[in-house]
Amino acid sequence: MKRLLPSLRAKKRYLAFELISEVPVSRSDLVKEVMSSASSLLGDITASECDIKVLGFEESKGIIQCSHTKVKETRASLATLTRVNGKRATVHILGTSGTIKRATEKFLQNTTIDPEIRKIQNI
Amino acid sequence: MGKPKFYDFCVHAVPDGENTVEQLSAFARHLGYSGIALANHSDKLPQSQPVLPFTNGFEVFRGIELVEENPSKLHGLIGKFRKSVDVLIVHGGSENVNRAALENPRVDILNHPAFAKSSGLNQVLAKAAAENDVAIGLTIRPLLHSRGPRRVRLLSDLRANLDLARKYDVSLVLSSGAMSCFDLRSPMETLALAEVCGLEEDEALEAITVVPERIISRNRPDPGYIREGIEVLEEGDYC
Repeated sequence: MKRLLPSLRAKKRYLAFELISEVPVSRSDLVKEVMSSASSLLGDITASECDIKVLGFEESKGIIQCSHTKVKETRASLATLTRVNGKRATVHILGTSGTIKRATEKFLQNTTIDPEIRKIQNI
Repeated sequence: MGKPKFYDFCVHAVPDGENTVEQLSAFARHLGYSGIALANHSDKLPQSQPVLPFTNGFEVFRGIELVEENPSKLHGLIGKFRKSVDVLIVHGGSENVNRAALENPRVDILNHPAFAKSSGLNQVLAKAAAENDVAIGLTIRPLLHSRGPRRVRLLSDLRANLDLARKYDVSLVLSSGAMSCFDLRSPMETLALAEVCGLEEDEALEAITVVPERIISRNRPDPGYIREGIEVLEEGDYC
């Protein structure tokens, strides 16, 4: 199928995040939990408008895509994520950007996890 | 104006919560807060006063959350702890306690006033809160951990209290009510959640920046302060 013209595509925002969790978490578990907390807080209708997708997720950092008008709702629903696969976890959003490239450059590269935060993760 | 400073005014550390003050403050700092108030419940206080870590640009305030069902004993506890803490919170949750807390001007914050089938506030209490400058504390921990009917209930209580607070000009304080590091949320996430739950953008921002600062400045008066309205601005010999 022919791809939509750039001017017709939905505008998006990319949220760079880090996941702080008790145990390492797989991408599929995280996706499940993100979706369920979004539809629980916002309801299925608003959650569908948010157009939330977990794009990349590696070494407890990743990028979540959402609609550019629903950044606030997306942030709120990510805040209500408390457990992944039964183990406690927290999503901390590092920043938002309009392109994946910029989000990666600005928030995900050259940032190391604070040793203090490492300690909390290993409890 | 610069970047606003964010404060989290209800954090529980060991032995009330799970993590130590050091871990909580390191994590809160990482999330972007400028200060937290350590407010353990008064029935679970540590044996000795903990040493509060102080690092540049981040402060841990001494606080307490009083748990007492009997109003006259509550007033006694308020008198006992007022001098030694920066932030005095009352753990609400029954009609008598809410009333006693809101009518005592020495209380800073009344947390989660809701109890069975009531949001915990009415016009009488809201007026008292405004007169005595007691803020209503909104903790986000219950909102994070509950789902379905329970959260619906919490949100409708919050909305009812919000309407009253707007009408009578009662100040609000947004805090995490964290029992462990995993309950802390960054300021931006807290704001987003508060806005989704019905607060206006400026109300939410005020509840996490301006109101906490005001509480601290009220409880830590300048050296020249004598009493409300009287202050030594300049000292000198005028004989």
